[in-house]
Amino acid sequence: MKRIRWGVVLGYIILVIFAIITVFPFIYMILGGLMSFQETTSIPPTIIPKHFEWGNYAKVFAQAPFARYFFNTFVTASITTIVSLFNSLLGAFAMVNLQFKGKRFIQIILLSLLMVPGEVIIFTNYNTIARMGLLNTYIGLVLPFLTSIFYMYYLQSYFGSISSTIYKAAMIDGASDWEYIWKILVPMSKGGLFTVGLLSFISGWNSFLWPLLVTNEDSMRLLNNGLSAFASDAGSETQLQLAAATLTVLPILILYLIFRKQIIRGVVRNDLKG
Amino acid sequence: MGNDKFVEVKNLKKVYNNGHEAIKDVSFSVKKGDLVCLLGPSGCGKTTILNILAGLLSPTSGDILFDGKSVVKTAPKDRHIGYVFQNYSLYPHMSVLQNVMFPLVVGKNKKPKAEAKKIAEKYMKLAQISDLADQRPHNLSGGQQQRVAIARALVGEPKILLMDEPLSNLDARLRLKIREEIRSLVKEVGITTLFVTHDQEEALSIGDKIILFNDGVIQQDDLGQNFYLKPNNYFVANFVGNPVIDNFKVKKDDGKIKAKDFEINVDDLDQDRFKREIPDGDYILSVRPENILPDENGGLPVHVDDIELIGRERILKFEHDGKQARSLVDLEAPIKVGDDIKLKMRLDRIFLFTPDGERVY
Repeated sequence: MKRIRWGVVLGYIILVIFAIITVFPFIYMILGGLMSFQETTSIPPTIIPKHFEWGNYAKVFAQAPFARYFFNTFVTASITTIVSLFNSLLGAFAMVNLQFKGKRFIQIILLSLLMVPGEVIIFTNYNTIARMGLLNTYIGLVLPFLTSIFYMYYLQSYFGSISSTIYKAAMIDGASDWEYIWKILVPMSKGGLFTVGLLSFISGWNSFLWPLLVTNEDSMRLLNNGLSAFASDAGSETQLQLAAATLTVLPILILYLIFRKQIIRGVVRNDLKG
Repeated sequence: MGNDKFVEVKNLKKVYNNGHEAIKDVSFSVKKGDLVCLLGPSGCGKTTILNILAGLLSPTSGDILFDGKSVVKTAPKDRHIGYVFQNYSLYPHMSVLQNVMFPLVVGKNKKPKAEAKKIAEKYMKLAQISDLADQRPHNLSGGQQQRVAIARALVGEPKILLMDEPLSNLDARLRLKIREEIRSLVKEVGITTLFVTHDQEEALSIGDKIILFNDGVIQQDDLGQNFYLKPNNYFVANFVGNPVIDNFKVKKDDGKIKAKDFEINVDDLDQDRFKREIPDGDYILSVRPENILPDENGGLPVHVDDIELIGRERILKFEHDGKQARSLVDLEAPIKVGDDIKLKMRLDRIFLFTPDGERVY
């Protein structure tokens, strides 16, 4: 007979409760998107709809240009991801491997900039973009996010854990800095670069405030703005709001499910050993 | 240019940004094809010198000539050197073959893949790692990684090979084997090699000559046996030799050299070995444990405190004037712990140092 260890059981019970609390809103969002209007507003609330109203999704696409929102969001998130990844890769490399005058000074400046919250500079950024005539353009949407000190720092600590003699060895072997970056640094830091790319893509996908400021045309809106506009456009049709929200979250959810391992590995950072 | 000074270091100095003076006016030269060991305790500046030779650090002042040409302003990749790092620094994401090929597929000396592969395979064969070509470095043992690192350092056919404590991550038995292999390999290739180590035994066994550093200064630049027979100073005499040399505080006075429990007539010493006239005063008398042996007519009575077995021989430990000293005797010598014996030293093998370390006899 195996003894039941009550401590373990209690632990699992607590875990399950918290898991339910965390996951419930997502589940309800998905289910609510398949309910009729009456079911979403009934008291006591319905959890499982009687009929799955798949038609809600068709209505969503009919009422707002969601395809366009998807396209816009995908384009801006991809551009910011690729460019900021490239920039932080080069910046972090320079900070870790190159010796130059004023390096410490620059490092301190960057570090203090990291402490400035984005909201503080958002209006200055807005003014800049507006004066450049970039409102309602893709460039205006992505420009402030093409570099990221945070990602640079993240990569810097990643690169810093690679032995400095690897760089020296490459120098003696005759490699240029450019060759070192692409043939050694990047393949050795796949996990970190992947994490940065993913984080950048997700935050690009979820961006709300900035696109709200610099776009006012429907054709330039991103998903989240579209969603909030849709919520008021759709009036009280809560089931359509939930269906639209599900659509917005779905791609990120899929990304998470596919790259679960890499995300965890990137956060734990144990793939540099061996 | 002369092959006698294939590598020449002139008045090299290195002061780090924090003010630490790692190298103080070092000059030496290396003959073409020689294997020279840079020996010294940790922190003596030997790795700094290797890094400066490689161009990974720049000297504060002084000059370095390879084959008669100054390379101080030359980038590491243009110095025609190979470098073996203490931690090997293999590229972990590449196979052994790719690691060895790397110097041939980057930079100015880029070669077509097929040609690079051919050259890499030649050096892998030389380093006996041909059968590991497709392995990743983390699947290899320390000794195998070592060989990959050497093959990678040699594949670009450098003129000079620099090795920074290449054996320190290996276990004792493997170290013996690999160091012989390294020596025969670099001799086969005929490459001029500088080999940094803190292990005197390694230096003595592998080096054509040894340069002993301490505190950023060359203590002795000589053939291996001379470190035993003719140490330049007190530091050298104490650094080289295992078991370590015995030191006795002595006073020269009245034509005699007097220690606490023995004395020697200055006239009994080999007068030719005196480096200069020495005035009366305090000195240190040093003698290697193999040159101070039990003898019924010996002048130094001692009490054996302890005996340590080191293979074929035993070390008798005794105390004299508050300091432990040793005598190296045969395994079968009939002496036990607690015995009172007499020791006699070979007068032509003792050294006399002034209190600040200068050797005078």
